[in-house]
Amino acid sequence: METSAAPAKFSVNVPASSSAITPGTASTLIEIENLDFYYDSKQALFDINLKLDDRRVTAFIGPSGCGKSTLLRCLNRMNDLIDGAHIKRGSLKIRGVDLHRKDVDAIELRKRVGMVFQKSNPFPKSIYENITYGLRIQGVNNKARLDEVVEKSLRGAALWDEVKDRLHESGLSLSGGQQQRLCIARTIAVEPEVILMDEPCSALDPIATAKVEELIHELKKQFTIIIVTHSMQQAARCSDKTAFFYMGKLIEYDDTRTIFMNPGNPQTEAYVSGRFG
Amino acid sequence: MSLESAPTIRPFVIEKARTRLFGLTLDECIHAFFGGNAFMAVVVLALITVFLFREGADFFGQNRANLRIYREAGLEYVDYMRQQEKDHTALTRYLFDVRMRTVKYLTGVKGLTMAQTNAQLAAFDDFSSRYGDTVEPVRGIVADLTEVATAIKTKFTVNEDAKEGRRQLLAGGKKDEAAAVAITNLDFKAELAPLVGTLPAFKDASATFAKNLEQVVATVPVLPTPELQSRMLKFQQLTRDYIATFPATIHELETWDYTKPVPFTQSLTAFVFGREWLTASFWQDWYGVIPLLVGSLMVSFIALVLAVPLGVGAAIYVNQIASAREQKLIKPAIEFISAIPSVVLGFFGIAVLGQLLRAISQVAWLDWIPGFPFAERLNALTAGCLLALIAVPTIFTLAEDALNNVPRSFKEASFALGASRLQTVLRIIVPASLSGIVSAVLLGLGRVIGETMVVLLCAGNRIAIPDFTAGLAVVTQPVHTMTGIIAQEMGEVVRGSIHYRALFIVGIVLFSLALLINFLAQKIVRKYRISIG
Repeated sequence: METSAAPAKFSVNVPASSSAITPGTASTLIEIENLDFYYDSKQALFDINLKLDDRRVTAFIGPSGCGKSTLLRCLNRMNDLIDGAHIKRGSLKIRGVDLHRKDVDAIELRKRVGMVFQKSNPFPKSIYENITYGLRIQGVNNKARLDEVVEKSLRGAALWDEVKDRLHESGLSLSGGQQQRLCIARTIAVEPEVILMDEPCSALDPIATAKVEELIHELKKQFTIIIVTHSMQQAARCSDKTAFFYMGKLIEYDDTRTIFMNPGNPQTEAYVSGRFG
Repeated sequence: MSLESAPTIRPFVIEKARTRLFGLTLDECIHAFFGGNAFMAVVVLALITVFLFREGADFFGQNRANLRIYREAGLEYVDYMRQQEKDHTALTRYLFDVRMRTVKYLTGVKGLTMAQTNAQLAAFDDFSSRYGDTVEPVRGIVADLTEVATAIKTKFTVNEDAKEGRRQLLAGGKKDEAAAVAITNLDFKAELAPLVGTLPAFKDASATFAKNLEQVVATVPVLPTPELQSRMLKFQQLTRDYIATFPATIHELETWDYTKPVPFTQSLTAFVFGREWLTASFWQDWYGVIPLLVGSLMVSFIALVLAVPLGVGAAIYVNQIASAREQKLIKPAIEFISAIPSVVLGFFGIAVLGQLLRAISQVAWLDWIPGFPFAERLNALTAGCLLALIAVPTIFTLAEDALNNVPRSFKEASFALGASRLQTVLRIIVPASLSGIVSAVLLGLGRVIGETMVVLLCAGNRIAIPDFTAGLAVVTQPVHTMTGIIAQEMGEVVRGSIHYRALFIVGIVLFSLALLINFLAQKIVRKYRISIG
């Protein structure tokens, strides 16, 4: 199935929005259609339909337990690791390829769809080894190539200047914000197309958060980023489009400005203005 | 405002409660109860340590006396001569081994009958009988002197017993009876005179012996293959080396002096480096810990070699790979093994495993495995296999704990970077829990080194240092262990005797080993906790 370049707007229960931030230039990368997702017999996602743009930042917002992280983890099949988690209906496609088809290798998929977690989780190894891990497991052992990737990734994650003199110290010796950027560097070292971020700043102080947000702005030139966040300001600051979830349903999806300034759904309005959640 | 209208002031009670037991409040009683229970463990450990050392301490003094009488009664003197005879016996055994190989070659490769083989080996047999006869003069002297030295030692022992009897009588206040006990002070110099007097005769005998040996080995029989022939030549060389040691023996005998004191350290080194554990012997008792220590370590080593892959592998499988249902089956099953009484495992070892291993070892096409076939049903391998079974639950449980302590986020991060399950386990999970796994293995070692019943029943209980020149086949030899010897001999020894004390010292060695292993394991675990943070 070919991806159509036409629909810039895709929303549920939302009136047509007029003010796209980057009108017309984005093409769709990921298509989610009629997705129903279950943990054992408990349904977590209800009929999700969503098209995500290539090289844009999309934010998933919503109160705890609304299914936004679940959807995120469907995109690199991290849910496979949870017993009883399964998709009952619908599909997730990247460039038309259904991610949950039988012959899709989840390991290959995860090399293309990287992930940054809520709590920074560098391995108990050196900074250097943390970044080269993704390449080493692919069998790359060429020292020159690894050195190059380490520098490139650390620069990409705006961490190079801070750690270039101590690449062989433990990744755990860094501060919280640095650790999270190290995790981002580790993710981009394998050159994925999509980076999933699951509340990447929830454990960071405002200064470290600002640095990560700046980084997101830089990264979107190269990568498609999907970020789950509890911070409305963060979604407003760094995303191009925002999807609001509630109780496992997609309530509204539109340009970020529209969601925050002129939401089409009263629930969205209530949430973004801080009246619940 | 008048004073009458002021509100009544409630007393400000902050004293401790009044109900007291032995002057303690309820809280303090509870505190004392739990504190006391916890403290009890420390006290018991201290008591055990003190008891072990108190009972064992005298050993070194007694062993010194034991070594002194060995010298004073001339046993040592005779043993120098005996050593010469023993070395000759060892060489004869080598010769016998060569004969066996030749027979195997002639009957196997050449397909000769037994009669033909014997006929072929007539020259060889003549050679070996002449070789065997050369020692006769020395052997005769040693046999005679053995009796002399034993007589002196017996006299001494009887005398000591008499002294002890008199001491007891005196202590009981029976002076007359005590005076009646005859005590002769032994004059070692006089007693030893006939012994030392034989030196010229021994010198002559030794010289004859050397001359005859030279003659015999001047021409060695010709054997059918170059390999056998080279063994024969090696034998020739060994014999010449042996003859070269004769002057040293003579020198030892000439300079031997029964009054030379036995230093205290010698009683220590005789235990620590002693290669013989020989008790209730008519000649001389030796308390050397080496055969037992080596036996214990060897059996434990075999057990660990088997148990570490099993235990750690099972832990990795259960913790990282198994489904919830498999976990529910495997975990209790492995943990149940530790509930099997070790004596049950022991007779399982004798009746089933020992038989089975021996039967397997005698399968013809398996004889390339070192040590196969073996005849001893009970040996270090059988005991090691069973001990492995005992160590597996310990290693499994602790290693699984260590794996469990690895934060889930490491695993997720690794998967998110496109690692497979195996890569995640080998590159992230196992390294992150390595120190925990190492300490699990150490505690497993502590568990097996202290195990008694299984080794007593299955290790074969031969008190000798295993022959390590056999290579890997050494594992199929029977051994005795420190735990086994204590269990076997403690019931039969006289309280306070040197043998009794020696067993306590072995107990102390065991105790210290276990303490050291546990200490190391704890230290490693502590370090590991910090590194994971």
